[in-house]
Amino acid sequence: MSSIIIIAITAIVVLYLGLYKVKSALLPVSVLGLLGAAASLVCVWDKNISYFNDMLVFNNYAIAFSILLIATTILIFLLSGNYFEKISSNVAEYYTILLFALSGGVVMVSFQNMSMLFIGIEILSVSMYIMAGIKKTDSASNEAALKYFLMGSFATGILLFGIALIYGATGSFNLVQIAGKASEQPLLFYAGVIFMLIAMTFKVGVAPFHFWTPDVYQGAPTLVSSFMSTVVKTAGFAAFLRLFGSAFTSVPAIWTVTLVVMVVLTLLIGNITAAFQQNVKRMLAYSSISHAGYMLIAILLLGQASPNAILIYSVAYSIASVASFGVMVAVKEQKGSDDLSAFNGLGRTNPVLAFVMTVALCSLGGIPLTAGFFGKFYIFGVAIAANYTWLIAIAVLMAAVGIYYYFKVIIAMYLRESENSESIQLSLAYKFVLIFCIMITILLGIAPALITNIL
Amino acid sequence: MTITQSLFYFLAFVAIFSSLLVVTAKNPIHSVLYLILTFFTLTGEYILLNAQFIGIVNIIVYAGAIMVLFLFVIMLLNLNVESEPQKTNLMKFIGIITGGIGLVVLTAALKSTDPSNTVVIQEVDMGLVKNLGQVLFKEFLLPFEIVSILFLSAMVGAVLLARKETK
Repeated sequence: MSSIIIIAITAIVVLYLGLYKVKSALLPVSVLGLLGAAASLVCVWDKNISYFNDMLVFNNYAIAFSILLIATTILIFLLSGNYFEKISSNVAEYYTILLFALSGGVVMVSFQNMSMLFIGIEILSVSMYIMAGIKKTDSASNEAALKYFLMGSFATGILLFGIALIYGATGSFNLVQIAGKASEQPLLFYAGVIFMLIAMTFKVGVAPFHFWTPDVYQGAPTLVSSFMSTVVKTAGFAAFLRLFGSAFTSVPAIWTVTLVVMVVLTLLIGNITAAFQQNVKRMLAYSSISHAGYMLIAILLLGQASPNAILIYSVAYSIASVASFGVMVAVKEQKGSDDLSAFNGLGRTNPVLAFVMTVALCSLGGIPLTAGFFGKFYIFGVAIAANYTWLIAIAVLMAAVGIYYYFKVIIAMYLRESENSESIQLSLAYKFVLIFCIMITILLGIAPALITNIL
Repeated sequence: MTITQSLFYFLAFVAIFSSLLVVTAKNPIHSVLYLILTFFTLTGEYILLNAQFIGIVNIIVYAGAIMVLFLFVIMLLNLNVESEPQKTNLMKFIGIITGGIGLVVLTAALKSTDPSNTVVIQEVDMGLVKNLGQVLFKEFLLPFEIVSILFLSAMVGAVLLARKETK
């Protein structure tokens, strides 16, 4: 709770700093506020405190995911450097909106009442609609914002409809009370569950509700896309698992079939379409769809290991995404494009950037000795425990397709010649974030036990 | 049939009829006017349920503010048949199928639901302003306060997107 307050106050302070034109203080103040919020979360570890009639419950699950969200945001903020200043002079507002979005994300991972879930999702989504459209003169950015807004508000309507039906069936918004009454009112309740399932899968970008993802990720400014594919996705999956893991466990049969079809569709569409992309940003957008498919497996087969599997996968995926989007921002700034050809010869001109990108892509692809391998490993472990061997067969096959398109970038970096041999100059903070991400990725790839047993 | 029941059936019929007209009307202005009619009938239903606050808010916010905005936008956009994107028959077919499946699921769910104790209103005065305020400021105080973050974010965003760039 105090973390939400700290984040919201930091956001308002940053807004005022922007008013008084102290640009150099924006980043330090935001990062300090976020560190404070993370520290306040660490202090309540294992305490399991609930606030205001069980509206929010900060159990270890909520704290772990909140800290992951905050850490990812700090890394993205450090990458921002002077990225936002190139778009417009209103930098303070960008930080403010991202901080507000983060507070919505923290609400989403700690809710115990569906009204809080709804408000959390709305805070996060509305902020993201705005951030997608901040490049006002760029028509791709405008299109992304409008598309995201229209489709997102439609999904919000469906979510609200689902909440209303479930309230009608059980007479409560509280997850524990809903789980207790789930067996009494089957059909109206089932209809509500399906509606909420549709809305949640839309928010995390799972097929067949994925159509907005590539356009929005490609149209939005790259740093905002990296926020969407890490913070928004992690918060969405954590909320998804919290909702279905605690309120809807007693009615699995009704949504298992639907979810299995969604998982298979997502894995197929995400990976196969990504393999055909020539634009690296769009490829990463499709690959984020496919990662949603892997994470959905843990929600589909709810078990003891599911929260841990989702946490490890989210950590690995977020860190690797921040690194790969970071490299892409740097490359785009120099070459003016994020096509595959812009990465040609990067291994010779910028060995550090190329190495960072290689490790990040290996982690996304799930190569051993990187964190991504253990992310997939634990997800598949959940599936094996539930005897879904055929699903793992599809998932492994699709992971192989994934390695194919990630290696297209690596091949371009190391085996192709580039036209110009200028190296890209990076600021100290930028280098720190990239190296830090890589170190975490490799560290978790060697010693995953650091986070496997914390939930 | 009591007066309340006959009023309910009348309002429900008008609501369904006018919302069908919203979808089928060719002229967008007519569409909006039918939508206003739908909102008014819904307000009538709320008042029949003794939910005065939500009935009044429905009139003020939806029928008043939002519908005026709707009308303005439609008049400014100057929509007409030529500028409408044409939907192919395949699109219409798919739309009918998916909408129909949704209708079947919802009707089945509704039909099998007995008006049990959770559905029937226990206290008749539940929807009065006083009771609503007590629930809102006691049990739902946190969501009520957190919503302010949502509004602040939306406001900052609206100013940000609408402001002219000086560059």
